Amino acid sequence: MVNATEGVLVECADAAMKQLLLHLDEKLPPDKKFILHDLDETHVFIASKHLEFLQSEIDCFMDSVSFPLAEKD
Amino acid sequence: MSVQQRTLDCKDLHSYLKTLPAAVLDRLYNHPATCLAVFRELPELSRIYIMRILFVDQAVPKAIMGSWVSPNSARELEDIVKLLTELRVWQEVEMQGGLKGWLLNPTFRRNLKGALLGGGNEWSMKPNTDADPKARGIAVLDEYAMGRWECVLHFMVGSHQHEAISSDALQILQHAGLMKKEPGDNQLSITKDGFQFLLMDTSAQVWYFLLQYLDTANSRNLDLIDCLGFLFQLSFSTLGQDYSTDSMNDGLQKFLQHLREFGLVYQRKRKDGRFYPTRLALDIAAGPKKSMLNSLNASSQATGYIVVETNYRVYAYTDSSLQVALIALFCELIYRFPNLVVGIITRESVREALKRGITADQIVSFLRQHAHSECYKEPPVLPSTIADQIKLWAIERDRFLYKDGVLYNQFDSQADFEILRNYAQERGLLVWHTLNGRKMVVTKEGHDEVRKFWKRHSRNGSM
Amino acid sequence: MAGGSRKYGKKDGDRYDASKKKFAGKKRKDFEDESAYDEGIPDGNEAEGVPEAAKHFIEVEGERQGEDEYGAKDYRDLQLKPDHKSRPLWVAPNGHIFLESFSPVYKHAHDFLIAISEPVCRPEHIHEYKLTSYSLYAAVSVGLQTHDIIEYLKRLSKTAVPDGIVDFIKISTLSYGKVKLVLKHNRYFVESQYPDVIQKLLKDPVIQECRLRHSVESSTDGLITQVQSKATSIQFGKPGTSGEEPGEEGKQVPDDISNFYDKMDKDEDDEDDSSLQTVAFEVNQEKIEVIQKRCIQLEYPLLAEYDFRNDTHNQDINIDLRPAAVLRPYQEKSLRKMFGNGRARSGLIVLPCGAGKSLVGVTACCTVRKRALVLCNSGVSVEQWKAQFKMWSTADDSMICRFTSDAKDKPHGCSILITTFNMITHQQKRSYEADQTMKWLQEQEWGIMVLDEVHTIPARMFRRVLTIVQAHCKLGLTATLVREDDKIADLNFLIGPKLYEANWLELQKRGFIARVQCAEVWCPMSPEFYREYLACKSAKKMLLFVMNPNKFRACQFLIRYHERRNDKIIVFSDNVYALKHYALTMNKPFIYGPTSQNERLQILQNFKLNPKVNTIFVSKVADTSFDLPDANVLIQISSHGGSRRQEAQRLGRILRAKKGAIAEEYNAFFYTLVSQDTLEMSFSRKRQRFLVNQGYSYKVITRMAGMDQDQELNYKNKEEQANLLQMVLTASDIDADEERVPGEIGGRPGPFGRRVGTMASMSGADDAVYMEYKRPSASNNLSKHPLFKKYRTK
Repeated sequence: MVNATEGVLVECADAAMKQLLLHLDEKLPPDKKFILHDLDETHVFIASKHLEFLQSEIDCFMDSVSFPLAEKD
Repeated sequence: MSVQQRTLDCKDLHSYLKTLPAAVLDRLYNHPATCLAVFRELPELSRIYIMRILFVDQAVPKAIMGSWVSPNSARELEDIVKLLTELRVWQEVEMQGGLKGWLLNPTFRRNLKGALLGGGNEWSMKPNTDADPKARGIAVLDEYAMGRWECVLHFMVGSHQHEAISSDALQILQHAGLMKKEPGDNQLSITKDGFQFLLMDTSAQVWYFLLQYLDTANSRNLDLIDCLGFLFQLSFSTLGQDYSTDSMNDGLQKFLQHLREFGLVYQRKRKDGRFYPTRLALDIAAGPKKSMLNSLNASSQATGYIVVETNYRVYAYTDSSLQVALIALFCELIYRFPNLVVGIITRESVREALKRGITADQIVSFLRQHAHSECYKEPPVLPSTIADQIKLWAIERDRFLYKDGVLYNQFDSQADFEILRNYAQERGLLVWHTLNGRKMVVTKEGHDEVRKFWKRHSRNGSM
Repeated sequence: MAGGSRKYGKKDGDRYDASKKKFAGKKRKDFEDESAYDEGIPDGNEAEGVPEAAKHFIEVEGERQGEDEYGAKDYRDLQLKPDHKSRPLWVAPNGHIFLESFSPVYKHAHDFLIAISEPVCRPEHIHEYKLTSYSLYAAVSVGLQTHDIIEYLKRLSKTAVPDGIVDFIKISTLSYGKVKLVLKHNRYFVESQYPDVIQKLLKDPVIQECRLRHSVESSTDGLITQVQSKATSIQFGKPGTSGEEPGEEGKQVPDDISNFYDKMDKDEDDEDDSSLQTVAFEVNQEKIEVIQKRCIQLEYPLLAEYDFRNDTHNQDINIDLRPAAVLRPYQEKSLRKMFGNGRARSGLIVLPCGAGKSLVGVTACCTVRKRALVLCNSGVSVEQWKAQFKMWSTADDSMICRFTSDAKDKPHGCSILITTFNMITHQQKRSYEADQTMKWLQEQEWGIMVLDEVHTIPARMFRRVLTIVQAHCKLGLTATLVREDDKIADLNFLIGPKLYEANWLELQKRGFIARVQCAEVWCPMSPEFYREYLACKSAKKMLLFVMNPNKFRACQFLIRYHERRNDKIIVFSDNVYALKHYALTMNKPFIYGPTSQNERLQILQNFKLNPKVNTIFVSKVADTSFDLPDANVLIQISSHGGSRRQEAQRLGRILRAKKGAIAEEYNAFFYTLVSQDTLEMSFSRKRQRFLVNQGYSYKVITRMAGMDQDQELNYKNKEEQANLLQMVLTASDIDADEERVPGEIGGRPGPFGRRVGTMASMSGADDAVYMEYKRPSASNNLSKHPLFKKYRTK
């Protein structure tokens, strides 16, 4: 039976980035998991209500791998 | 929810004209200045075509015109055919014997001839016959023009030490979506488009602003045709020359006062009977295309004030609060000296700008456009590593694209899946699909339609 | 995301903050921690031995100023001079100074700023300097006077100079440079032109203790008064041919600046033009440290100067520069700072790698012409220094004695002794010979002690050297004085102030060092590797990003590209597991800790001479322990956390300018391969900071044209990549770690606390730890490189 689910399609720039999403999701308790469907190498379908949380998690992660190049002092 | 980056759509002259109704366009070509301005901005090949058929008072068969270019340029020819048709410069006609041909718009033909060859009614503005006892030099005009224009920009960045702008200007800013009133707030605040606008170069800003103004011309009881015609006349006028207001009707007089406020024309007193066009007016209709050339020429080099170093330092030789405010849009400022601002481009500062809707390209071109003359000694004027990094920071934000939608899965058969997918695809509702596992995502808006179709389909199928 | 112990009960805001901190703080510590590399084991009592004035932080003074609406320090109330356009400086109340490099007065201002302040960054157009009490101390010690510093700064500045800065300069300089510690006839004297200062010092009970009184001195105060003779300026060999560029003079230079500059320039050479009267008292040699410390506490730090021309007690050595030794302008300038007043000042000279530091050292020794001691950080450097002495000076084998674990020349009667810091400070039992040499060394009164690569040596070790060696004058040489590591404070007071620091970009432009294209190549993590990377604990993370198949391919691609161009390529990997895997897979020779000395030499020899060996892989033993042959391409596949110094040193490997190279074109390449979206990105950026401030820029390469099409590269399909991943996952944690170089100075217990297995790599490594009783190399034939064997049998 065909099933329809509302949500947000997330397209990742590369396959590694999708791994990041899976990784973030894996660590979460069941009620916080945001991934509804793992679609293919670069796409996942997520719940709209967790989008904001996800985006901030991603920001945090990106912050962690960046380093201020320029020195202010 | 789609958070795709939108760039401020600053139309060039042609794209703008294409948005006008056919009737308006036809009337517009009654002004020789308009025809000349349109002609001037055409690609070279189109200009050659027009010149070749300008004096042929009948349609010219397509086959003949096609033979004027080598087969390699067929693609280019297609483009100009499309452009000229859209601009209603010419139209397709059926000739005797069923041949298809192109015929120049007669109004356009007549007025372009007039503009190029003279004769007929005088189309350019008349210089005043009596000399202005208080004539204004070009330097004064330039200063006036920039002063007035910056007044608008100052208002946008919210620097308060400057005079207020007129309610007309306010309306235009709002109409253009450059500023808006937040609910529950009396003050206007700048929008994403507004930030992008600030980083455009001046002539593009003026053009964009004027287009928005013209959009509201009718509601001001102004005649769009008259206003456009006058603008094009201005663009063919001479800097430093004063022109008479005598022959101008009331609408144009009103228009002139607005142009005066924005710095496109200079008038000592309203009732002076004469005005001076400024550089801003002369640049008009060139649109963003020409101003790009502008940024490469010497004059912008002389006024450039920004030095960007390979270590992400930014040094701006300025004491203008407007320029400082612009740099602060994407830079972290660390020192202020009387004639110098020291800042630093950081990932955070650029991300802040990106969040406000400013694009990486806009930051980069702004820095290039205002590069200090010292930077020209060893090009590139903006270190390429810095330009690259700014773009990389933007790309980093786009690692994930989000699209609202509805996922359909668990199809019983490949056939079912394909029927629904094709249906959504044909209607432009399909966002994504895969055969592998038979999954598809349709837009949120399209969901209803697709669902209804599916219900119909499965009912029929079950029958 | 490795922690995994998150709490989700809290409010959103809290959670984000917490996770941010986790990313930014805790996780980084695991790998990087530059301090371990840079500073070594922290000394307990660093703060003492630094004068009060020097602890003044001018920044604090500046804080009182307001900020503008953007949070910038607002100095707009500084009065702009009418002719500001022809003056090159902005002086901020917090001690930061900005200099326009395109100003016609640049040359004047640059020389001056280098003398009085620390460079913060010197890219193309505008340079930033910073006034510190140390930098001002250095200014005084090269002969600048308080008044002149203030006056010249005022003239160069576009605005009025803030009062706080004037005060700061006064505080920091007035008491400095007034008292000198002079060693004459094997006796130490505290000497000054200011009798009142001497009187003041002598009132202090601690100093009284240190004073040495001879009964013969019967005059009331017992002070020795003497008139200093006129000094003649010193010539260093032949003056360089490519001196200062003429012509720029007079163009738009305000008179007050050019006049003053001329005056200062002269001053520097003929400071003692008029005969000066000095007063002095003698100091007990055992109490030197005590009095030095005490004087610092009293705000009169002792400047060490050596009047070598009037030293009749110590015999001259017969050494001169060869006629072929031509000094480059910056080399000469640095030496002029050292010998400016006819005496030898102690201090530091900072020159980029490859810019000819050894010639400066050799020239200094030839100028002093007294017994010289050279300290370096490895046995290989000792050999290099000997070669440099023989190349540039008239010294021959009989005059030079090497003192290392391998070479124990007879020291007696030698003029120049070259050894390592480790040899001198070694505290365990020595062999009989070594013991004799040490005894002899300690008995000598050295004219000059040259300390090579001083930045690598912890202060603790220095102190020990200074208690062992009696030297009139100390010259520290280094390429990278990384500023934030506090080392500067130690070096300032243990060796002396910084005398000169060259501008990298300028040397590059003038063709003295190679023009290097630096690039950071972003290698996307393969999804499979990335999944494991995200899930595993930190030790393994490193191995995963180093072994990323896309990085391997990028490395292979670059090597193939540059080999086709006939370039010479050195690949650095701090991780031994990756080093071996990369090298063996690509069939290239490699050198790491266990590689025997013989094997090393043969590999290097092959790399130098065999046109078929164009690429070698090296571990970080190559950073300090041996002389790498010239190469023009350097690829880093894994490197130590965030060490700016290691980065600069590696760059230095390819800086030696090629003959006939065109300065406008890039003639050397420095690639760093980083796995995208891993911690490596952040390390890489951290490493770059020093060089970026010297004006280098790293081009980010996200895609290499032709790489995807190259069928010859390994790991092109998922299967091969999966096998590689399996291999990496089964590797032990020890493999994941970087190589530990024994005796690596400043090393500390590793971040992971697991050290067992690394013994393997320690066993045959460089001579640092086992230098005294080095066994025959522990690495036997088993560990011989297969490729290398092949070459040998041929």
